[in-house]
Amino acid sequence: MTDDPVLFCLHFLGGSAREWRPLAEHLGPTMRCVAIDLPGFGDEAHRPGGDVAAMADHVAARIEAEVPRGPWFVAGNSMGAKVALALARRSEDGDPALAGLAGLVLLAGSPPAPEPMAEERRRAMIAWIDADPETRQREAEAFVAANIGAPLSPDDHARTVEDVLRANPDAWKAWLAGGANEDWRGRIGTLATPALVVSGAEDGDLGPEAQAALTLPHLARHRHEVLLGAGHLLPLERPDALAALIRDVVAAPPETAEAPALPPAFAALMGSDRVNSRLRAALRARMREPEGPFCLEPEERATLAACLDRVLPQDGPGKIDLARRIDARLASGTGDGWRYAALPPDADAYSRALRTLDAAARETQGRSFAELDGPGQDALLGRAASGRLPTIRDGIAPEQMTCWFEELRGEAVRTWLAHPASLAAVGFTGIGAGGDDADALPGYRLTGLNEREAWEAGIREAPITTGDVR
Amino acid sequence: MNLAGQRRYGTDEVVDVVVVGTGAGGAPLLAELAASGLKVVALEAGPNFEPAGYGFDETLADEIYWTEERLSGGSTPEAFGANNSGTGIGGSTLHWGAFVPRADPRDFRLRTESGEGCDWPIDHAELVPFYDRVEAFIGTSGPTPYPWDEARRFPLPPVLRNGPAQLMAAACDRLGITATDAPAAVVSRDFTPDAAVPERKACIHCGYCHQGCRTRAKASMDVTYLPLAVAQGAEIRAEARMHGVERDRAGRITGVIYRSGGRDHRQRCANLILCAGAVETPRLLLHLDLATGSGQVGRNYIGHVATQVWGTFADEVAMNRGYPSSLITEDYTRPTNADFAGGYLVQSLGVEPLTWANSVARGRGLWGRALTDYLKQYNRVAGIGINGETLPCDANILTLADETDALGMRKAHISFGYGSNEDRLNVHATKVMREIWEAAGARDIWVLERVAHTLGTCRMGRNPDASVVDSFGRSHEVENLWICDGSVFPSSLAANPALTIMALSLRTAGAFLKGSP
Repeated sequence: MTDDPVLFCLHFLGGSAREWRPLAEHLGPTMRCVAIDLPGFGDEAHRPGGDVAAMADHVAARIEAEVPRGPWFVAGNSMGAKVALALARRSEDGDPALAGLAGLVLLAGSPPAPEPMAEERRRAMIAWIDADPETRQREAEAFVAANIGAPLSPDDHARTVEDVLRANPDAWKAWLAGGANEDWRGRIGTLATPALVVSGAEDGDLGPEAQAALTLPHLARHRHEVLLGAGHLLPLERPDALAALIRDVVAAPPETAEAPALPPAFAALMGSDRVNSRLRAALRARMREPEGPFCLEPEERATLAACLDRVLPQDGPGKIDLARRIDARLASGTGDGWRYAALPPDADAYSRALRTLDAAARETQGRSFAELDGPGQDALLGRAASGRLPTIRDGIAPEQMTCWFEELRGEAVRTWLAHPASLAAVGFTGIGAGGDDADALPGYRLTGLNEREAWEAGIREAPITTGDVR
Repeated sequence: MNLAGQRRYGTDEVVDVVVVGTGAGGAPLLAELAASGLKVVALEAGPNFEPAGYGFDETLADEIYWTEERLSGGSTPEAFGANNSGTGIGGSTLHWGAFVPRADPRDFRLRTESGEGCDWPIDHAELVPFYDRVEAFIGTSGPTPYPWDEARRFPLPPVLRNGPAQLMAAACDRLGITATDAPAAVVSRDFTPDAAVPERKACIHCGYCHQGCRTRAKASMDVTYLPLAVAQGAEIRAEARMHGVERDRAGRITGVIYRSGGRDHRQRCANLILCAGAVETPRLLLHLDLATGSGQVGRNYIGHVATQVWGTFADEVAMNRGYPSSLITEDYTRPTNADFAGGYLVQSLGVEPLTWANSVARGRGLWGRALTDYLKQYNRVAGIGINGETLPCDANILTLADETDALGMRKAHISFGYGSNEDRLNVHATKVMREIWEAAGARDIWVLERVAHTLGTCRMGRNPDASVVDSFGRSHEVENLWICDGSVFPSSLAANPALTIMALSLRTAGAFLKGSP
């Protein structure tokens, strides 16, 4: 008698059900993995493969046959993720065979839109799959190597190469020339099914910025996690981290779109060779919330988060956890080179200022600062800014509060604008000033008023409002 | 920069000179002394960067700023870090804006002229040959003829103007103000001044001068004087943080103690030249109780009045593109209707988004929806700013705080506030900048109060009771101690300081070579 959740697992192009063994081991008995060979791959290599809908039919039949009694989930890696998205749409549309879908796990997923991929590489992959055995072996090795952030274990590596070589070349080509190019944006629309989206910071075309631009907008409830050092074959590369993340979202599914999406034009620039590798890696890392260590007490963190919602409101969907990032910065002990002599060291100043604000809220409203409504919080912050908050024991003095609130505003905007979604929101193209070849950096050819280079199109358009901001 | 193959000296070898700091003060003299055959070792607290590795990103650029904490007090507390303090081989020139006006001759004798401030112990005319040499070597770009200095010649034509420069130029034209392309230490053409220095490619207008120049178009010391110094036999040690000295009975310095790789080293030396900037140089002297007999070390701390005026335009400005300050007017070095001593320079401003947003949030005081709405105007805003004379003042002083850093050295506490002369200058300049920005068509104009640069604290002078070094930078008290950086400035001058510091550096080197045994 078990109602343990079931995770149906769909592999990447050239992979097979075997890809999921390490994850299944890490998930242990609490979650049963049912890994499925898609048509044309693994043990289904005798079949010719097919389009996304045909692959979804194949999986739906397996799910129906399995008759999961408890909640069930679909995980997809790359190609498999696009099939998972199609299944979720059917489930939400009321397909009785797919009732009970509780969530999606999209790992370096191929998005609903045609997959971004250089045409040259697509042609080369289509060509070598039918080549002589020696070429096939060499190219399969190179294909696996190009899709991982760090070397796999020799066994995993050998099995993965073997899977690529046993794939049905027709299925391989069907995906590259067909499935990957299918446009499912309209059909997928916005899914309500909770989804865990995971991207590898070392991935190529389907890395964090592509997920944020092409996948997140289709998900009303999602969490986006970026795995540093990981490439494209996430179930093979990070089964331990994935198991932990999956357990977390099964226990507490995301209720909202948690991470900010990126405009496609900005994501495309970020992925292009106009952006240097160091910057791309840094921007990708900033799409991930820090793991700590932290130093603020839980109530202080809650007050800080409430403050930041008022100081720098984020329209969403999705939000950068500025409080978490600032808390991590405080714990790191790093700073910007100076502080007001009137204030104690940063971590102490934050802690005491936040307690002062909270005490003022309790004294005047009988509730914590975080529990006040927006106008109530604004009123207290206004008093903090002008040095009119009362003094409390272990707090900071009214005039120190003015200094601290200025520090907070500065740190809030600097933290916010470090994130690519914020740079995109202000229409900034400067990340594209040049890639890795320092002897051939393009910079800007045009610097004058109302001049715009072709590559800046779609990014510079910032919302224009009229009149003074206040 | 490339240090492979540089000459090495043993720590027990008595080198002729140890130079502490490799910025605008330390680098030119290092090259001069090495060229004359002296054994010279430079100690740089920060790392050695490869310019190609800079990230084109304001957050990544933290690596080139001095981010060890300083305490800022007084009535107009100054920001440090990215605002004015660098680290790494090349010092603050790594993040420097490369804006290179020459100092106005009148600024050197301000007291004689106005009864305010103080005269410098040297005359502008003495500096001119050094300015000429520096500019020819580092490669300055600008308009020849230069409207306010007939004698000035730029080796290279101006860099491209950007949006803020175009806006300011049109407005100045309308108002009858002379304005022209800025003097910039950024090469507008491929440039090689000396066979010992690798060629520098022309500016690509990326706009990241303050985040480290990837193409080496900007004349930071690591692509100009320091390669020359290494070619002439100098040794540069990165991540070598000087924090002590050894002295003989007569008080002469015999060795320098520095922390590197987690432990202390001692370099024996015959002379020490401190070039660590107007905060770290006096901090070291106070920490070591060196040359402090006159009580002048740390006194007369000076920053420039650097107020900015911002506005929003109908045009798409995208001000991050191009050399940031590509237009200048020197029409206000002595305004006719001034009620203050000295004057100021005006420049157009393009600023990268984090720096600008930080100014908006702190300086404009915006928060909430007003803040986020305004930040989204980024591509429509442009600024104009000044660099204004700041007089020495008793209340402005650098002292040591009770808090210590990781090395156990007490942190610097800087107390700085405007006096009445700065206040009057600021009012005048703000009115002028508003008029220019209104004429340019700006709406939603606001004023950012800001202090720039770090100067003073070890001023030069003839009177040993009222200064720390003589007019060449030699300590009045310790015979083999010299100082060469912004700390020797008796008053700020209206011009941005780096070019003048480089000229002083060559002059100090000449005096050292003439005067040392």
